[in-house]
Amino acid sequence: MSAAFERQIRPVYEALDTGSNKSAVLACNKLLKKHPKNELVKALKALALIRSQKVEESLVLCDEVLASRPTDESTLSAMMHVLRGLGRHTDMVTMYEDAFKHQPGNEELGSQTFMANVRIGNWKAAQQIATKMHKQFHDDHYLYWSVMSAVLQANDPTTPPNMRPILYKLAHRLVTSSGTPSYFSADRFYLHLTILRELQLYDEAFELLEHEVGKAICAASLACDELRREIWKAKGLCKEEGARARERITAEKDRNWLEFLSVVDAAFHDLGSSPTSASDEVKTTCAESIAAARELFNQVAEEDGTRDRTGRLALLELEKRAWASGLSDDPAEMRRLLESYFNRFGDKAVCFEDLRPYISLEGDVLTAWTSFLKAVPSTPETRDDLSRYMNAQKLLRYNLSTSEVTSEAEAACALQYFSSYLDALKFGKELPDTELQPADDLALLSGQAFVGAWKAGGEAVHLYQAAAVLEYASSRSKQSYLIRLLLIRVYRLLGASSLALEHYRAMSVKQVQTDTLSHLILTRASTFSLSSIGDLTYSSECLESSQIYLTNSQETAEFTVRAFGSEKYTQVPEFISFEERLDNSLQRDLTKIEHVRMRISHEPVSSDLVDMELIELKFIFDRFHHDNRDFDVIPNYQPRCGPTFNEQTTLFDKSPGSGWLSIFLKIYIKIFQCASDLDDTVEDKLLIGDRPKPSLDPENKAPLKERLAKRKQEEFDELTADELAFFDYAMALSDWLAPYHDYIRPPPSAVLAEAAKQTELKTGFPLKGVELPKNGSATNGHAKKDKDEEPPAVSAPPDSLSKYFDDMSLRFKEALESDRLPSELLHLVTLTQEALILLSIETWRFKPNSVIKQHKLGAMVQSFKELRTKASAVLNDMSASLVKLGEEGATIDSRKAFVEACKPVWAESGLDHDFVSTISKKVTESRKQVLEGVGKGILRVLKNHA
Amino acid sequence: MSVLRPFKATDMFKFNHINLDLWTETYGINFYLSYLARWPDLCSVEESPNGRLMGYILGKAEGAGTEWHGHVTALSVAPEYRRLCLARKMTAQLERVSDETYHGFFVDLYVRCTNAIAIGMYEGLGYSVYRRVREYYGSLGLGRNSKDEEDAFDMRKPLSRDSLRRSVRSNGREIVVSAHDVS
Repeated sequence: MSAAFERQIRPVYEALDTGSNKSAVLACNKLLKKHPKNELVKALKALALIRSQKVEESLVLCDEVLASRPTDESTLSAMMHVLRGLGRHTDMVTMYEDAFKHQPGNEELGSQTFMANVRIGNWKAAQQIATKMHKQFHDDHYLYWSVMSAVLQANDPTTPPNMRPILYKLAHRLVTSSGTPSYFSADRFYLHLTILRELQLYDEAFELLEHEVGKAICAASLACDELRREIWKAKGLCKEEGARARERITAEKDRNWLEFLSVVDAAFHDLGSSPTSASDEVKTTCAESIAAARELFNQVAEEDGTRDRTGRLALLELEKRAWASGLSDDPAEMRRLLESYFNRFGDKAVCFEDLRPYISLEGDVLTAWTSFLKAVPSTPETRDDLSRYMNAQKLLRYNLSTSEVTSEAEAACALQYFSSYLDALKFGKELPDTELQPADDLALLSGQAFVGAWKAGGEAVHLYQAAAVLEYASSRSKQSYLIRLLLIRVYRLLGASSLALEHYRAMSVKQVQTDTLSHLILTRASTFSLSSIGDLTYSSECLESSQIYLTNSQETAEFTVRAFGSEKYTQVPEFISFEERLDNSLQRDLTKIEHVRMRISHEPVSSDLVDMELIELKFIFDRFHHDNRDFDVIPNYQPRCGPTFNEQTTLFDKSPGSGWLSIFLKIYIKIFQCASDLDDTVEDKLLIGDRPKPSLDPENKAPLKERLAKRKQEEFDELTADELAFFDYAMALSDWLAPYHDYIRPPPSAVLAEAAKQTELKTGFPLKGVELPKNGSATNGHAKKDKDEEPPAVSAPPDSLSKYFDDMSLRFKEALESDRLPSELLHLVTLTQEALILLSIETWRFKPNSVIKQHKLGAMVQSFKELRTKASAVLNDMSASLVKLGEEGATIDSRKAFVEACKPVWAESGLDHDFVSTISKKVTESRKQVLEGVGKGILRVLKNHA
Repeated sequence: MSVLRPFKATDMFKFNHINLDLWTETYGINFYLSYLARWPDLCSVEESPNGRLMGYILGKAEGAGTEWHGHVTALSVAPEYRRLCLARKMTAQLERVSDETYHGFFVDLYVRCTNAIAIGMYEGLGYSVYRRVREYYGSLGLGRNSKDEEDAFDMRKPLSRDSLRRSVRSNGREIVVSAHDVS
């Protein structure tokens, strides 16, 4: 590059760096006039174009540069960004491979080629390049790259199982061939150990670990020590590990729970897996080791006092296992240990969680434990007293029996908790707004008990009471996300969805949390969405929550590359698994489905909508999903004899999972397939970039048509009765009309020609890779293209279609009469509306008069009309009922009724009556908003799809 | 009872109850990954026996010459697991690795000048104020002294390599530098 040229091109880089893509394009154009063949300028222009969303124009330039097989580093590096932006990672690999072949002595190019393969998980090629580089440049880290790549290839699901041991053996050979031992760094050592573990070469691993350097590494590296533990265990060194742990506990004062578990495991080791059949001799030695462990833990517990609770908990764990193996005969021993733990650590918030695994007691022991807890003073004098009291209440509640969990008893409990809460607020009086109130947990208990009362008796007033109590607590402890979580769940049941959203937003969920937490408001969000009247709040929430997946696919692989660069082999597999789990997140696609459902209630049917969604849903249908949703974040203080709080407040008692997703994918893929002109051959030509990796599930190997037709009970189990009816309706609808669509749909060549025409109009360039037959007429493929073939005979719609609307109407009326929750009413209504929209999408192709005439579809169209009339009548009624309900629910009288229902909460507690009144206003207004909105939205939808 | 183990990328799916707390920031995934890609041994978590995360620490090694040191970037414990000395256990691990693996001279961390509880805790762990950094934090002034809240104390604890304890000083609270002077 000449100095003059370098000076000229600098402004382009500067413009790109500052995000002024437009001026970058202009600067490139200027340069291209002088240097029309310059690849670097073209590459930079392509980059600026992508960044200004001009994908088609960028594609043309990108292909030109690729065709020239660039080798200079600036062009390659610009192209790397271009190809990444286009998602063409495979092309990136080819580009670097070509360049490296051209300059085999260029080490940097070699590394880039390796990394390009890493980005797309092409481990086989990566391994070969790294081996080659090691031979050529004699640097050990290339050898370890190759070792890591071999291991990753072995672990890759696409690798046949019989190849795995071969690859691990290869990795082993490579690692032992190294001039420097793996002791060089903890990460290399770790990689070496994983290989030995996989090959079950425990003796070899043991030797390394027992070496002085090995010991030193394990002492500092938690990751290596974790592996060491596993290897010792696998080698059957359970007792030795126990002795080692004992040493660490006493000499090093190590309080890692894993060490204590090792001591416990060692004590029971001789018993094996079936303690009952052990000989008396074994039992005796075992009892001795248990006694020794007990002595050790007692000693630790005494020594640590209240500083560390590990010793005391180890005693509980030991007793639990001894009891389970029949080596403890005093049922009261557990209770004594529990009590002594409680006496020491009852003032720690963690006490309840610590003890929960050990308190599944029965009979006299339970009675004694209960009375112990009941004796904890209910009028705390200090914050520590308060903690003890709260822990006692949680522990007591956990062991309530079924007969104690009636609606009345739960409501009484809730009031008791709330009154204690109000008393205990004094402990947090002086705290700034930014702190949590020490008494918060009592409010949570109260809210959960009210929900328990609702669940036991079915009266919605208890949900109002829960809302009132929790709102009050939230106003006192503004930063408590736990209170907000409970409120979100209660509000969704009550149909006050805007309030649920408000609380969700106040938690400022962001970044990766949107994957794990958006289920709180996006699960079945279309039930509450007002997109039909143009309110896109939920739609945009879906889009915002989905940002993280884009970030993941753009960024995470770069860190895998970095981890290779810094030789952090502990991290490489973790990053890959993280990327994969986020990319194939269940919530991602549940959100996607909800977004589609909202979109069709808002937008008119168009080929853009149908085609784009179809392509995307088909990709999703191939995925193997990971459920990253965090439900554990929702606190649970419900009695162990019944469902958890999360289960109790799940909308319609059914939590959508991968089965639910599969059903809705089947519905929409089938419907969109009918309406779309795209078939697989067309789709393939129109898509740019890499395709998602297909899932390896053998079931996914079957043709799409078969997979769509497959019915599985476990999938149905995730649906509500109404969703199931909706599914049947959608299947009947698409099965009925599919033959007519297939007959009328234009042939692929015509579809492609149209697409090419549109692209050319847009970009001025012909569509790449599509060669059209000169005459543009239909020549390929479809059997139906025989012009003489008769159109399929007119058939009457299956009865089930019309019946669906009748049934939904009936179920809605029943629900209205039996005073069901607003969320349940909305569920029925939105599913009925969705059915009408499906009908509209399915019959969209048959709308033009010319089509009707040409294919003699007059009779068919008549039956569409009849169905539509039926649906309209049903939906009009529903609309009127919802609007009326919304209005009635938000009058002064109904607000008074809400306040009256909450009387037990405020009447005697001294809670401000006005506060409850404000809440009543908020709840009823929010509910009115959604009932009225959905009601009026129906009319809009009916008009749009008339 | 808790298990000390390395922080893994997939822990990002499990740290909600820690990060939803007001004072803990949730950064982009690139933030966590960039730490893990370079200093995985300075990042660890405390986990309860049932697999629930209790808290985590993220750290790095940086500085030139005698300024080469371990740094605590983030340290957070979920509200329900506080007062269990978890912070002590996690910083001890970070100090051990900074000392034995990285051979740093000291470990340092930044804390809001108004956060008396945290300052007291770190003093208990052997840290002392080295300097006050003006306007280190953004504008998260929620309390009454929002000005004070923007300032940070840079607190340090010498490691074995700094046998002469040159990395600490007794009058650190009076030494004030601006945020531009620190990296």
